[in-house]
Amino acid sequence: MSIVDTALLQSVTRPVAAANGLPNGFYTDPEIFEMECERVFRKNWSLIGFGKDVPEPGDAKPVDFLGMPLLLLRTRDNVLRVFQNVCRHRGMILVKEAGPLKGVIRCPYHSWCYSHDGALVTTPHVGGPGRNSDEAIKREELGLIEVRSHVFLDGIYVNVSGDAEPFETYAGGVLDRWAEFADRPLYHGGPDSSFRLELDTNWKLAVENYCESYHLPWVHPGLNSYSRLEDHYNIVARRAHSGQGTVVYNPSPDESGRAFPLFEGLSDKWDTGAEYIALYPNVLLGVHKDHVFSILLEPRGHDRTVEHVEIYYARPEAAGPDFADLRARNTAMWKEVFMEDVGVVEGMHKGRSAPGFDGGRFAPAMDEPTHCFHDWVAHQFGTGS
Amino acid sequence: MTRDDAALARLDACVLDAHASGAGCGVLAGLYREGGELHLKAGRTDAACFALTHAYVYALEAGDAFLSEAVGAVLKAHGRLD
Repeated sequence: MSIVDTALLQSVTRPVAAANGLPNGFYTDPEIFEMECERVFRKNWSLIGFGKDVPEPGDAKPVDFLGMPLLLLRTRDNVLRVFQNVCRHRGMILVKEAGPLKGVIRCPYHSWCYSHDGALVTTPHVGGPGRNSDEAIKREELGLIEVRSHVFLDGIYVNVSGDAEPFETYAGGVLDRWAEFADRPLYHGGPDSSFRLELDTNWKLAVENYCESYHLPWVHPGLNSYSRLEDHYNIVARRAHSGQGTVVYNPSPDESGRAFPLFEGLSDKWDTGAEYIALYPNVLLGVHKDHVFSILLEPRGHDRTVEHVEIYYARPEAAGPDFADLRARNTAMWKEVFMEDVGVVEGMHKGRSAPGFDGGRFAPAMDEPTHCFHDWVAHQFGTGS
Repeated sequence: MTRDDAALARLDACVLDAHASGAGCGVLAGLYREGGELHLKAGRTDAACFALTHAYVYALEAGDAFLSEAVGAVLKAHGRLD
């Protein structure tokens, strides 16, 4: 690991008051990004897509996860599964476009066919023209390669390495903290509740910015007008997740007094509370009494990140035509907020090319969530106990 | 050319048209099955099983369990599918 200076990483895992941030190379060096692909994304539970993109049994969607071809598939018995999107014969990509699969998955190259549970069903002409079996080709050994997956708040998480803790353990802190939201049905708002932002920045800077409220008064003056810095609190779970909460979530009804329906049976905390957590490595989550959102951070190299924002509501009617105007307003509000962050996350990325920058320092009272993330990343590279 | 040969020639043309026009796998399954049956009638087992293999695959892709089972049974009867 010669390109990673472990001495510098030791300073990252010091207590927040004494720590430095990750060294510049973690933001500017393509080789370190390649190492992150393995040590950070494939070895942990990473978000790759959303159940709403494969809504019906038989639906399939190809996904490129850091260059790895994966396939999201909702089986006939309504189970979401993830496979490597590759034929076991010659490595051909199986599914090129999202859509419903009426029957088996047929490889476009030699028509090897797979069932929706990944079994290799038939190998046409494998033994010669019109001869569909061969002793050397044992179908039971050549099914699709499944990738461990888990669904949480409609997000599809995968552990490519296969050896991470179970998701329930890995994300146990968030699952416990948000137990009131975890197992409820969610209703995606539809096209008006999805948007993407493409940023010239390293994916980690989007995480670092999201999980702290310190920048609110300067970067989000509108948000700060009704959710002040002093109304926010830090959420820190070492080596797991971090973020912030607010105690003043009070969405305004529209001119006719309409508001989104609420999740039923929530505890009093959520009457005016909302929380925002970065579940490492690559998802930014927000929960409120009337909606939740997930932001999938898709790294496209060390210096480009796509944010996929998906907003969900508590009741099916909130996703229907009667609430279209409210959804549009809510989506526009969040889009404005997230776009306000673009300048600072891109600016921080540019700053990482300053050779004298030592990774920076953390304000102990305000930056603990951000330092928690830096510490976690350093830990993925074998630093810190 | 026998009547069956003429039918096969027309079918071959239909198959080519179907592929060229992006016809669904269900349509292709039916055409290849027809071709396979014509070859069987003419005693051309290898040609029949080649065509029926295509019918089988396209029927599977179409999710047509009835057709895929029927064609699969013929292939199995000729020792071409296990």
